[in-house]
Amino acid sequence: MSDAYAHLHDAEQRRQNRKNAVPGRQVIIKIKRCDGPGKPSRWESFKVKTEAGSNVISCLKSIAANPVTTDGKQSTPVVWDSGCLEEVCGACTMVINGRVRQSCSCLIDEYAPREGDTLTLEPMSKFPVIRDLWVDRERMFHALKRVQAWVPIDGTYNLGAGPKESPEQQQTRYDLSECMTCGCCLEACPQFNLEEDEQAWDTAFIGAQAISQARLFNEHETGKRLKGERLDTLMGAGGVSDCGNAQNCVKVCPKGIPLTESIAAVGRSTTIHAVTRFFRGK
Amino acid sequence: MNQPQAHAKPGPLQKHHFLIRRLHSLTGIVPIGVFLIAHLVTNSSLAWGKWGLRTEGRGYSVAEGGIKYFQKEVAWINTQVPHLLLIEITLWVSIAFHSILGFYYATTGKGNLPRYPHQDNWRYSLQRWSGYIGILFIFYHVATLRWGWTFLVPEGTKWSHDFSASTLAAALQGSPEGWTAAGIGISLFYFVGVSLLVFHFANGLWTAAITWGLTVSEKAQKQWGVACLGLGLGLMVAAWASLGGALLIDYDEAKGIESKLIVEKYGEDRLEELLDAAPAEPERPDEQAMADD
Amino acid sequence: MTEQRVIVVGGGLAGLAAAVRVAEAGVPVDLVSMVPVKRSHSVCAQGGINACNEVARQQGYSEYQHFDETIFGGDFLADQGPVLEMANWAPRIIDLLDRMGVPFNRTAEGFRDLRLFGGSLFKRTHFSGATTGQQLLYALDEQARRYEAEGKIKKYEFWEFLWPVTEGEGDDKRCVGMVAQDMRTMQIRAFRGAAVVMATGGNGLVFGKSTNSVICNGGAAARCYQAGAHYGNAEMIQVHPTAIPGADKCRLMSESARGEGGRVWVPKQKGDTRRPKDIPESERYYLLEERYPDYGNLVPRDIATREIFDICVNEGMGVDGENQVYLDLTHRDPDYLTRKLGGIMEIYEKFVGEDPRFNPMKIFPAVHYSMGGMWTTYTAGAYNPDSPLPAHKPGNAIPVSSDPGQGLTIGAPNNMMTNITGLYAFGEVNFAYHGATRLGANALLSCIFDGLCNGQSVVNYVRDEAGAVDDVASPVYDSVVKQEQDKHDALVSSSSGGSGDNSFNPYAIAKEMGDEMNAASTVVKSGPRLGQCMNKLSELRERYAKVELGDAAAWTNQSLSFSRAVGDMLIMAEAVAKGGLLREESRGSHYRTDFQDRDDDKFWKTSLAKYNPDTGSTDMEFVEVRKGLVQSRPRTYGKTAPAKSEPKQTAAAS
Repeated sequence: MSDAYAHLHDAEQRRQNRKNAVPGRQVIIKIKRCDGPGKPSRWESFKVKTEAGSNVISCLKSIAANPVTTDGKQSTPVVWDSGCLEEVCGACTMVINGRVRQSCSCLIDEYAPREGDTLTLEPMSKFPVIRDLWVDRERMFHALKRVQAWVPIDGTYNLGAGPKESPEQQQTRYDLSECMTCGCCLEACPQFNLEEDEQAWDTAFIGAQAISQARLFNEHETGKRLKGERLDTLMGAGGVSDCGNAQNCVKVCPKGIPLTESIAAVGRSTTIHAVTRFFRGK
Repeated sequence: MNQPQAHAKPGPLQKHHFLIRRLHSLTGIVPIGVFLIAHLVTNSSLAWGKWGLRTEGRGYSVAEGGIKYFQKEVAWINTQVPHLLLIEITLWVSIAFHSILGFYYATTGKGNLPRYPHQDNWRYSLQRWSGYIGILFIFYHVATLRWGWTFLVPEGTKWSHDFSASTLAAALQGSPEGWTAAGIGISLFYFVGVSLLVFHFANGLWTAAITWGLTVSEKAQKQWGVACLGLGLGLMVAAWASLGGALLIDYDEAKGIESKLIVEKYGEDRLEELLDAAPAEPERPDEQAMADD
Repeated sequence: MTEQRVIVVGGGLAGLAAAVRVAEAGVPVDLVSMVPVKRSHSVCAQGGINACNEVARQQGYSEYQHFDETIFGGDFLADQGPVLEMANWAPRIIDLLDRMGVPFNRTAEGFRDLRLFGGSLFKRTHFSGATTGQQLLYALDEQARRYEAEGKIKKYEFWEFLWPVTEGEGDDKRCVGMVAQDMRTMQIRAFRGAAVVMATGGNGLVFGKSTNSVICNGGAAARCYQAGAHYGNAEMIQVHPTAIPGADKCRLMSESARGEGGRVWVPKQKGDTRRPKDIPESERYYLLEERYPDYGNLVPRDIATREIFDICVNEGMGVDGENQVYLDLTHRDPDYLTRKLGGIMEIYEKFVGEDPRFNPMKIFPAVHYSMGGMWTTYTAGAYNPDSPLPAHKPGNAIPVSSDPGQGLTIGAPNNMMTNITGLYAFGEVNFAYHGATRLGANALLSCIFDGLCNGQSVVNYVRDEAGAVDDVASPVYDSVVKQEQDKHDALVSSSSGGSGDNSFNPYAIAKEMGDEMNAASTVVKSGPRLGQCMNKLSELRERYAKVELGDAAAWTNQSLSFSRAVGDMLIMAEAVAKGGLLREESRGSHYRTDFQDRDDDKFWKTSLAKYNPDTGSTDMEFVEVRKGLVQSRPRTYGKTAPAKSEPKQTAAAS
C-alpha cells in the first residue's frame, strides 16, 4: 500500500539524516508557547547547539538553562511534560513538525541534520493546554474508568494463581497492554476532538485507546466478567460506532498496538452482544 | 468525576445510538448499495446491450443494440416490477435517513489530511466529501429524471421511460441537437457525482466490515479491501459506461429506434398518443422532421 | 469524628500497592503524585520479578534460598527479617499479579515462563516481555482506578509533596499529614492524614545522568530527612552495568539481556577498529565469563559494573578506545529475542540506530538504583534460630517454613515506619531490603511487598494507635503551609533583579552537582576524592543560597519546582558523600580504593544519617544491622582470575 511505502520512505530518510548529520551544529527549535488556559499562543524560536545523541528533551533542557530567543530576547524556560525518557511512560508526547510523537525518542540528527535546520514543537491539540507544551490528558484516564479497564479480582489476599493462558493469548494481551496512555492515537484521530467541558467527555468519541483497553480486559478470563458492561458503554454515544476508520491511530501508535484490529474486534463483540441481548431480552 | 456513568438525560439519538449507527451502516448497503449495483448494471447496458441481446443483437451497431436493450430493461422495470412505488419510497426514505445522519455524523469529525496524509485518511475525508456531493447529485438526478423537475434541465428536456435513451441523452448533452455548454456542465456533474458515489459505496462496504466486526485482523481488512476495490472498479466501469453511452447517443437515432420498438409492440396509434402527450416536444422547431423520420 | 484518611505519596508500584491494600481494608486514601500515577518511574523496570516457583522448587530451590541469595547479594548489609518475609511472600505476590491480569510470558503449556537473572543459578525470574515493570505498574494502576471509581481512593496527580506535618518532638514526634503544591495552579495546601506513606522512589538525578526518570530527584525523601526522618545507607547506590549513554539520560539495557544469553566482551587487542562481527572468537575477551566461571555474565550488578569500569578506565580496553563494551546477543535467534526482549531491543534501535539482533550493543554502567533510603523499623517475626546458619545449599532442608510471619510480625503497626510515628517509607525510598547491592528483579518485588504486606500495618496503626487527626489544631498545619509558601515566594522573587551570573543558575548548579557526585561517589570511591566532593557540595550550597530563577510565573512554574528540589538534592548528596567517606571498607556497591576489603568488625552496620537543623548538615552514625538468621561469608561469586590490577587513585576522578 502506498502509505506503508511512505512510512518506509520516511524511516529511510531519517536513517539517512542520522548518517549525514553535521556534528556540533546549531539548530533552531521553534516552539508554540502559551502562558496558560485562555491565554493567546505565540511562537518563539531558540538556537540550540547539538551534541551526539541530542533529542528534543536535551534541547528543551538546554533552553531551560538559558532561555534566550533567536532575536536575543530573554524569555522563560519552556514548560513541558516528561518522565522516563525511554518511550514507556507516555508523558512527553507532543506535535513535532506537525506530527504527534514522543519527544524523548525524537533524535535531532534524524529531524534536523544540517546547520540551521528548524524543528517545530507544538502541544497536542486535542487536550487542553496547561502551559506551553504541557497538556492535560485526564480525559484519557477518565475513559479508562468508563470502560472499567481492570480485572475485577476478589481482593489482594492470597487466593492462588490466575487463569492459565496460551503463549499466543498472552502475546495478544501483551501487545494491547503496552498502551502507555500517551494520546498519539487520539491526537491523530479526525473523530476525536478537543472537549474542554468535562460533561462532554461521556458522549464525545472515546477514541482508540480506551476501545483497545476494553478489548484487552475482555480478553482476560476474569476480566470477561465485565464484558457486557464495557460493551454497553462502547455501544453508547461516543462509543466504538463513532470511529470513522481513518486508521491514523495505528500509524502513529509508538508501541505498534493493533488499534484498528481492536476497533474491529470490539465492533464484532458489540454486534454479537446486541443480537444476544435482543433475543435474551436483557 | 467519580461517577462516570452518570450523565445528563440522553436524547433519542444517544439512547439508541448503536441501533441508529448500525441502521445507518446497513441502509448504505441494503437497499441503497444493492439498488446502486442494479441501477448501474442496467444503465451500462447502453454500452453492452448489443451483446445482451444475444442472437437478436447480431447486425446491430453497439449504440443501436445498447439503446434497444436499455429501452427494454426500462420498459420491463416500469411495467413488470411489482410495487414499484413502494420500492421507490423505501429507497427514498433510506437515502434520506442515510444522508441526513451522514451529514450529522460528518460534523462530529475534523479532517486532518495535511498532517496525516495516509491512504486510509484520504479515504476518510473522501468518504465525507463524496457523501456531500453525492447526495446533491442524487437529488438532482432523481428530481430531473424521475420527478420531472424540467426547470432544472437545460432546454427543459423531460425524461420519458418510453424514450429512455433519447431523452436521457438530451438531458445530459444539453439539447436534443447535441452538446451545449450547459450540457457539458451537467455531464461533468454526472461524472463526478456518480464516480464519488461508487467510491462512497465501495469504501463504505470496506468500513462496514470493520464496523460489524467481519474483518478483524489487519490481513482480513486488507483482503476485504482488495475485494471492495475490485467491486468498486467494476462499478466504476459500469458507471462510466452508462455515462459514456448516454453521452455518445445521437438523439434522433435513439428516438427512431425507440419509436420503432413502440410501434412493434403496441402499434402506430400508441406512438402518436405518446408523442402528443409529450409537452416539451411540440415546441421544438424541427419536430416535424422528427415525426417524418 | 470524621474518617481517618491515609495519605500515600507516590504512585509507583509501592504507592499503588499500598493505596490498594489500605483502600481495600476500608480506610480512605489520598494518593498524591507529581505525575499521573500510570507514568511513574516503575514503568522503566524491564527484566522481571523474582520468586520461588514450582519448577525451581523441584530443582532444589526455595523461598529460603531466595532470601539467602538476597542477603548474600546485598553483602549482608540488610536487616535480615524483612528480607526473609519478602522472599516468602514472593510466590504469593506473583499469583496475585497473575490474577490482576499481568500478561506474564507463558510456556507452551500455559504456565508462567521463567528466565535467569543475576545472583542466582536458578530460573526464578517471572517476566512480561522486557517491560515487566510497566506491566506490573499497569495492573496495580488498574486496581487503583477501580477503587478510585468506587470513591475509596482520591487521586491528586500533578501535586508535589513539600513537607510532612508533624506534632510533638523527639520520640513523641508524630506525622499528622503533609503539605503539597499543585504543580499547575501553584496552590499550596495541607492534607490531614492519620498516616503518611512515602513511596517516592530513588534519587538518581542527584548523580546527573542516570537511568532514572526526570521525576526521581529524591526531593520528597530529602524533605522528610530535613524534617527529622533518618536516612539509612545513603552511600549505597547501584550503578547498573549495562546502559546506553545518552545526551539527556542513560537508558537501561536490562539485565535480562544477559539472562537470555547476552555476553559482555571487548576486543583483546587495544584499539581494534574492526567491526565486531569481523573479530574472531579467539580475539575476544569475555571478561565476566573468564573472571567468574560459575556465574559468568550473571554476576551481581556491582561486580559486573566494576569489571566493565576496570576494563575501560584502568585497562583502556574499551571499544573504540571509549568507555564502552559490547553486550552481544547476536548469537541468539532474532525471533526469540523479539519475543523475549522486544521492549529493550526497540529502545536500543530507536536511540542508537542499530539493530541489536544483528550488531552487538555498546554499553557502559550508569547510576540506577538507591539501596539506601529512609530508615525504617519493624517487629521481627517468629523465626529466630539459636545461631545464624551458614550458606544454604540447594536441595537442603529449609530451616523455616515459607508461611507469612516468619521474618516480620504481619500487621505490626511499626513495620516499615520511620523514626517519626505515622510516617512510613515503602519501596525504593525504604532502605530495608537490598543491603549493599540489589539483585536484579528484586526491586519490583520489594516495592509490591511493602505495599501489600506493610499496607496492613498502616491500616492497623490508623485503626488502633493513631489519635484522631481531626483533633490536631490547625496552626500545626498552617505553620508548615506558611513555611512552604515563604520558600516558594522567596524563589519566585529571586527571578528578578538578580546578578544574571550563571553560577547562580539552578540548572548549572544541578549539573555540577550531578557531574561531581557521579565522578566521586559511584563506581569507585576514595577518601580524598570524597573529601573533595564534600567541599564541592558546600560550595554549591553556598551558591544555591543565592539561586536565581529564570521564571517568575504564578502558574505552572516548572523551574520553581526544579530549583526547589535542587536545594533538597544538595542536602541529600551530602549525606550520600558523607556516608561513603565514613564507611571505610568496601561492601557491595560501595567500593573504596583505599579500603578494598569488607570490614565486618567495624562496618557490618547501617549508616544512619540524621539531619542537623542547627548546622544544616548531616550527622552520621553507624548502628548494628539486625541479623542473626544467616552468617556472614565472603562474597566472591567464584572469582578465579588473579586479582585485578590495582585501580589508580586518579581513576575515581575520571
